[in-house]
Amino acid sequence: MFSVSQDFAPPFKLISPFFILGSLFYLFATIFLFFFSTENISLLDTKVLSFVHIFLLGFIMMTIFGAMAQLVPVVLEVGHFGVELFYAIWPLLGIGTVLMAAGFLSSAALLPYGGVIVLIAMMIFVMEIFLTIKKVEKFNLVMSSILISNIFLFFGIIFGLVMALGYAGTIDVDINSLLRSHVFLVVGGYIIITLMGLSVVLLPMFGLSHGFSKKPLEIAMIIMSLAVLSVVSSSFIDYLFLEYLGYFLASLSLIIYFYLIFTIYKTRARKEIDIYAMSLIFAYFSMLISLILGISYLVVGYEPLLLSAGWLIFFGFFGFAVTGHVYKIVPFLVWFERFSPLVGKQKVPMLADMVPPKSSQAQFLFAALGVSIVAVAILLQDDTLIKAGASFLVVGAIAFLRSVLYMINYK
Amino acid sequence: MMYSKEELFLAISNVIDPEVGFNLVEMGLIYDASCDDDGNAHVTMTLSTKACPMHQLIQQWVKEAVQKMANIKEVEIELVWEPEWNVTMADEHVKKALGGG
Repeated sequence: MFSVSQDFAPPFKLISPFFILGSLFYLFATIFLFFFSTENISLLDTKVLSFVHIFLLGFIMMTIFGAMAQLVPVVLEVGHFGVELFYAIWPLLGIGTVLMAAGFLSSAALLPYGGVIVLIAMMIFVMEIFLTIKKVEKFNLVMSSILISNIFLFFGIIFGLVMALGYAGTIDVDINSLLRSHVFLVVGGYIIITLMGLSVVLLPMFGLSHGFSKKPLEIAMIIMSLAVLSVVSSSFIDYLFLEYLGYFLASLSLIIYFYLIFTIYKTRARKEIDIYAMSLIFAYFSMLISLILGISYLVVGYEPLLLSAGWLIFFGFFGFAVTGHVYKIVPFLVWFERFSPLVGKQKVPMLADMVPPKSSQAQFLFAALGVSIVAVAILLQDDTLIKAGASFLVVGAIAFLRSVLYMINYK
Repeated sequence: MMYSKEELFLAISNVIDPEVGFNLVEMGLIYDASCDDDGNAHVTMTLSTKACPMHQLIQQWVKEAVQKMANIKEVEIELVWEPEWNVTMADEHVKKALGGG
């Protein structure tokens, strides 16, 4: 008898809170949209900052961290240093996010508390990942991406805490210049590089793609890292060229990354367009459109172009990349825990059977419509359209929460 | 030989990949199988990806599927990555189903 270790599939009770809380924060974020009007949508508006932190910390990071509990050993090919540490991460990240969101909205004094709690949660995560990486004997490209992205996250949260202290008035810092670095370190350095690295493992695994080159990943990762360093340097050296060089490099990196995804898509053996494939296609096209809008902003300087680009990167690209993977990761973990011991003894479901078809399709349809409508609404500066898009998104988020609970409770 | 390659493949064909819904033999993941007169079986197989989180489980299922055959004493699983698996190694009906045909 083989001994099957839990290294490659940590206990589901450890990970399920990340997905449940993540989908609840996603729902909160979509409800939050009803309180926006075109007048208060700007990068420094406190409502926008509160909303962005609920979405990025509460939904995107929470879900990525939960997924990483399972994916890190798969990608690094070694067991976790201490997977039990993840029991501490989700409550801290959840409480920290709520305090930060409340801090931005009503009481800036709450920000340092929320910031410190988020910092502790992320430090536990980063240190656990670093100590797990230490066990790796032979590095490959994907392992390097995990290392690089977590180094950027480490510095990104330090910048974030300094900014939180600045907002609360505890210290005197130039928040505007730190904001650029914070955004680029966390969004470009952590989220995008993590997605880049994981995508060459997960997309071919689910699509059965073979024979594509990983060289574009290496180039895209290096260029994105240089973009982050460029923008961070521009926070300290008052030299506009560095900042714009960073934007140019980040755009170039995403174009190369899109090319990589296209080659993986073209070489896939599995042509079925299931909820996973649909979500990923929407995610990558959102990224592409966001890129076009972002570049247009640099040319014409019309702020709604930048806001719409940011919206599409967050809710279109990150949002759908995350929800799409949830439809693969959650069924696997539930199946591994509940059904794998029954293989050969009784009929067990296939992983695809565990995804609720109606609510997953509803989630995709309503969320995709909502994201598209809000993107147009921001461009046209139309308040009614924002509310219309928000209505679709709330229904999509409810359907997503329902799908997650269905998969978790599948018996 | 206690069992032929075909008999061993038939036993292993009960093992289904829960992600794609096909058995490992029709997926072309089982490269070779043999069994000596003493009941010692040897299976050479691969997986569709190195990063497969189910790799331990799948090997265990293959081992158990062979162990269920009468008079089998030992089952050795050899997991190889050369030649690298690709869909052309799968049966025609699998290729057709995966390709949406």
